Amino acid sequence: MKIALVKAMLTDPHLWIPLGVLAIGIALLGVLA
Amino acid sequence: MVCGLVAGAWLGSAEAPTKLVAIGFSPFLISLGMVMGVFVARWTVPIALKGTRYVWQDLSEKPHLIVWAIVAGMLWAVANTLTVFAIRNVGLSIAFPLWNVNSLVGLFWGWLLFKELRGSAASQRLKVVIGAAAIVIGACVLASATAAGASQARHGAAALGVLAALGAGLLWGTMYIPYRKAYLSGMSPLSFVTVFTFGELGTVLTLAVVFDGGAARVLDSLKLATPALFWLFLGGFCWVLGDLFQQYAAKYIGISRGIPLSNTNQLWGLAWGALVFGELTDMTGGAQVLVVAGSLIMIAGAIAISLAEAPAAEQREWYSAMERECARYGLDRERVAASLMGSDRAHLARNSWRWWETLIIGAAVAVFVWLGLHAQVQAIAVDARWLLTLAAACLALLLGGGIFLWKRTRFC
Repeated sequence: MKIALVKAMLTDPHLWIPLGVLAIGIALLGVLA
Repeated sequence: MVCGLVAGAWLGSAEAPTKLVAIGFSPFLISLGMVMGVFVARWTVPIALKGTRYVWQDLSEKPHLIVWAIVAGMLWAVANTLTVFAIRNVGLSIAFPLWNVNSLVGLFWGWLLFKELRGSAASQRLKVVIGAAAIVIGACVLASATAAGASQARHGAAALGVLAALGAGLLWGTMYIPYRKAYLSGMSPLSFVTVFTFGELGTVLTLAVVFDGGAARVLDSLKLATPALFWLFLGGFCWVLGDLFQQYAAKYIGISRGIPLSNTNQLWGLAWGALVFGELTDMTGGAQVLVVAGSLIMIAGAIAISLAEAPAAEQREWYSAMERECARYGLDRERVAASLMGSDRAHLARNSWRWWETLIIGAAVAVFVWLGLHAQVQAIAVDARWLLTLAAACLALLLGGGIFLWKRTRFC
């Protein structure tokens, strides 16, 4: 993947919402397990 | 709209085979078994319908979406595992409507990030919001009816179960961000799910290894669970068929309309539970009234959403959301716009069959046959008449919806 594409992706604010929610989900699993 | 309704039927029916699985396995193992079935189906269905070259071309034109698809798969896997905990702690009838708040979460993200419901008349917006709320309310009414008489879970465990179900709803609702992102970029759902499934299987496998005591123990548990794996695989296969229609609904009508429609899956889950497995035979008259009322509210919600067609002004807003993706990731606007209408000429034709495609599909069939031969029939009373009726209804919807989708979009 081109560097410009990686940069576009990492600076896309939309990306950080699913990643943040994913972190919450994994933390919740840690509590439940 | 048709895709959303077919999705509801198949996502709801996916629960039926998993009911036949004997209890006693860990939530991580059940999730892993189902996702292994999902993995097999997610590879074979796209290859059978469009071929490997099509999927490869679609992915290589939008390589950034590979990351998005993997993130979506991870979200799905964590949410699915949370639902197993939720069912264990508070039961399916309470957990199911709680995680169905995913439609409201999806509606919020669709409005906030992808300009859905913008520019449309207030009456249209109201139909979608009221429809989505009705589906959630209907789900709650169904839950209160089916929960009657269920044993009380321990207080602390119940609170954690509720938290797990709500967490699953949040994760699934957020998973629609990558979905919509991919489809606003002109990707075919068939290509998206082919990568999505790697995030899904990788995450479930990691969770099982980390939380279930290591790889060796997971392997041993899988060997012990072999008689039950066929049912989990079958459930996973049904889920994939429903999910594919859900993906097409998200592509062509957006997540704020598509997801609530596919959440009518609870009606199908209830139909399988009540009619085939006789789960509601002990129910009082009052509870049965609640079941009918809850079902009617959900149907009314689905009808309200299906009547709220996106007007031209809203479609212009969608177009500007699409342009954002094209500008950020350097995509061809005209081709993406054509794909959103289901008419991207470059992607319509299917290439000829290749030998490895036959091999992949043959291997998937062999896995199912092998598991079927080792499957243990569970001692659960089943109403064969209703089983055949519901199975026939689901197949008719699959066939009708599939032909309709093929004619309109060629599965693009």
